Amino acid sequence: MEEGKLSRKDFLRRTGGLLAASIVPMSLVEIACGGRGKGTHEKFTFAFISDPHLTHIKGTNFVRNFDNGLNKAIETVNLMFPRPDFVVFGGDLAQLGKREELDHGMELLSKLKVPVKFVIGEHDYYLDMGNYWQDKISKLNYSFDHKGVHFVVLNSILTYDNWIKRWKTPEERMNEMARLDNPNGSPFMVGDDQIAWLKKDLEDIKSGTPLVVLSHSPLYKIYKPWNFWTDDAEQIQSVLSKFDNVTVFHGHVHQVLYNQIKNISFYALMSTAWPWPYPESYTQSPHYIPKMTVFMNRQDPFHERDGTGWAFVNMDNAREEMHYKLWENKDRIVKYDESAGHPVDSTYQKPETRILPQTHY
Amino acid sequence: MKVSTFSRIDSKSLGYIFLIFVFYCIGCDSQKKKGTDLTELTYIPSGILGLPDIPVPKNNPQSNDKVSLGAKLYSDKRFSSDGTVSCATCHKPEQAFVDKLKVSKGIKNLTGTRNAPTVLNAVYYKSQFWDGRRNDLEGQSKDPLLNPVEHGLSSHDDLIKVVKSDPEYTSRFKSVFGIDSDSIQIDHVAMAIASFERTIVSGNSPFDRYRFGKDEKALSESAIRGLNLYMGKARCQDCHTIGETYAIFIDDKFHNLGVGFKRIQPKLEEILQKKAESKNSPTSDEEILTNLESSELGRFAVTGVSEDLGAFKTPTLRNIALTSPYMHDGSLTTLEKVIDLYDRGGETNPFLSSGIRPLGLSGQEKADLLSFLKSLTSPVLPSMPK
Amino acid sequence: MDDRLTFKDRYRSRILLGVFASVFFFIFGTVSLLFADDWDKSNEDKWNAAFMETVARGEKLFHGPELGGNTVQCAMCHPNATNTHPETYPKFQKQIGKVSTLREMINWCIQNPLQGKPLAYDDPKMIALEAYIMYERRNSVLAPGKH
Repeated sequence: MEEGKLSRKDFLRRTGGLLAASIVPMSLVEIACGGRGKGTHEKFTFAFISDPHLTHIKGTNFVRNFDNGLNKAIETVNLMFPRPDFVVFGGDLAQLGKREELDHGMELLSKLKVPVKFVIGEHDYYLDMGNYWQDKISKLNYSFDHKGVHFVVLNSILTYDNWIKRWKTPEERMNEMARLDNPNGSPFMVGDDQIAWLKKDLEDIKSGTPLVVLSHSPLYKIYKPWNFWTDDAEQIQSVLSKFDNVTVFHGHVHQVLYNQIKNISFYALMSTAWPWPYPESYTQSPHYIPKMTVFMNRQDPFHERDGTGWAFVNMDNAREEMHYKLWENKDRIVKYDESAGHPVDSTYQKPETRILPQTHY
Repeated sequence: MKVSTFSRIDSKSLGYIFLIFVFYCIGCDSQKKKGTDLTELTYIPSGILGLPDIPVPKNNPQSNDKVSLGAKLYSDKRFSSDGTVSCATCHKPEQAFVDKLKVSKGIKNLTGTRNAPTVLNAVYYKSQFWDGRRNDLEGQSKDPLLNPVEHGLSSHDDLIKVVKSDPEYTSRFKSVFGIDSDSIQIDHVAMAIASFERTIVSGNSPFDRYRFGKDEKALSESAIRGLNLYMGKARCQDCHTIGETYAIFIDDKFHNLGVGFKRIQPKLEEILQKKAESKNSPTSDEEILTNLESSELGRFAVTGVSEDLGAFKTPTLRNIALTSPYMHDGSLTTLEKVIDLYDRGGETNPFLSSGIRPLGLSGQEKADLLSFLKSLTSPVLPSMPK
Repeated sequence: MDDRLTFKDRYRSRILLGVFASVFFFIFGTVSLLFADDWDKSNEDKWNAAFMETVARGEKLFHGPELGGNTVQCAMCHPNATNTHPETYPKFQKQIGKVSTLREMINWCIQNPLQGKPLAYDDPKMIALEAYIMYERRNSVLAPGKH
């Protein structure tokens, strides 16, 4: 009994070893997969860093753990060979939108050796309604073209005016928005102005052009009580419906999550700070977690980096290949599968190859 | 519409594919070398308080004759290019199976890059060497023989020649393995040495008598406080794990504490680029012991996974008071210095293992931890079979 | 023979006594359940309110920086107290290295990720945290020791 157990463990460890050996260049070298489909763009790689939630304690003191997460992501991205073309920052640089936090975050991010495209998160926004961010960091919504791919950045964390006006002080508003499981919360949305802007921006883009949309909240509906949700998601999805290939990358949920809705593939980013549980672990209310997502492991709180990480994407002929770099855990590659018609985890998608659940809670 | 996957490959892509292929082949090859890992294990009782059963590969069962043959091979200095080095040179039986040196000395007093770990209880590791590049004792025993700064043999044949020319060896190989002189191979030598090393276990320390032997007086008050710190505030337990019924003080994992890492960190990008472009990866045994840059990459040199940069295997803490100096590079001379390293949260670097952080231990707490670590010394250590 | 009869008689009277006593206590018990003060509906409401107040205090502690030394909050990793699994305690807790209770794990989290000071096991804060966590996991099946 004991013996069988151990040799099975050994076997798993061994397959882990083999996998690691074959993954060797993937962390450091761009993957070449050749042409596929009707791509018109050059191959390139970009990296993702998201949700570091840098937290100011006082004076020059910040939560060490969260600083370490962001620093580790930055250092690892800098070691990629060849370098990614740019880094997308997925939002929630700050925990409570403070200038100290945003300044500190920009100082850390300045060590990146490639340009950064910024997406704003609710934690960066609700103290001063995005003013400092727009002054010092980036526009809230914009688009750019890169090697034949059209990128759109949306500010998806807007919400209803009467909720914004409900709070006495900016700090109170920020604190209420910062609580994920807040019964007094308010759903995110992109809003009519931005949707109009988006329509206009996409007007002259051919439907065959690969389109990548970057947002903080998921541009679909997963779980309202935690704001894994964008209220006007359907409207945005319909604006994007004319394109052959659309990929949405979003932050906010701090977990491995992917989905396909019609022509749109969705991928969530990891946080560098801490992981959120999957909504299904809250037994008191229903959720809409995508069935295809192979969950990530539960983390061991002793190891602060467990359950956190970063990602990079190989853009290759209109389709993306998402590399989840999961610290203290097995890396995952999820990419669009033509025959399945949705993103598929290259190793763990089939039920029989699922990652065994971690047993150290 | 759809074109096959590999229809459009430019030369750059081909280059990458080649690179991946090379990495993959090397990866597969190094896996093949560890073939014995696939062997199933059986377990024999250790009969020693605090130690679990001893894992033995089914294809290399223990026998007294094999153990004593292994011990003879272990101590034979003829298995080195200048006749000065045996396994026992760096793993001295009379010194808790270490050499007490910062980094070990091989032939012609050449030095490597790493501190010799003790053979004591090495049988319980699921991987051998500081970076785990071998999975078992059999695999481990063959590498130092060929390393130019250790035994310095040009090939294993040098050793086999010596064995074949010694009638005592040939008759003992005959009785242990049932083979004639012509059939003796390096793997037989490795099996015998590994069998001997499987007997080099020790437990029954004051800690074992306290924890597993229910002798409440086996530990001093200070050591008991140290044990509580070990399990809690000092955060030792998570990696140097103490089990419910036994303790080998390891987690079979690799961690970056930052020790030695700052030596390569400024040049890390250059080093990794060089490695990605070179075909010598995963890194060879020789390179690890002769090239400081490769050595400090730690586990990464074996796996190529960025998570393993500067990470080294968690060593056992049994008999730790006897096996100074400490850490993979022997850079810390005393246990006090090791405790201080952990207390300040390791050496800061971006790849620092995430369980490592400042502990805020008081002077008394450090002293208590030290008493606890000293309670892990076994009263009797195994010796060479006669 | 006589002895046996006598014994049987005694036996019978005991049964009768037992049946009589049971019926008496049953009626008395039922009546007291219906009319006694302790089971008053308004009392039940009070008790429920006291519990929910404790839950609310726990929720506040769980979502605030008060317990920690570094502003980190329980709810960061455990929104709605997810992944706390109070129904699985006591169990072997890897981080503590022994079979532990929920309260010990709460203290581990306070001391480690939150870098705060551990609570006494009967501290009202500890009880409030326990109440909130348990309440969020209500209707879970007890599974002590489970991982």
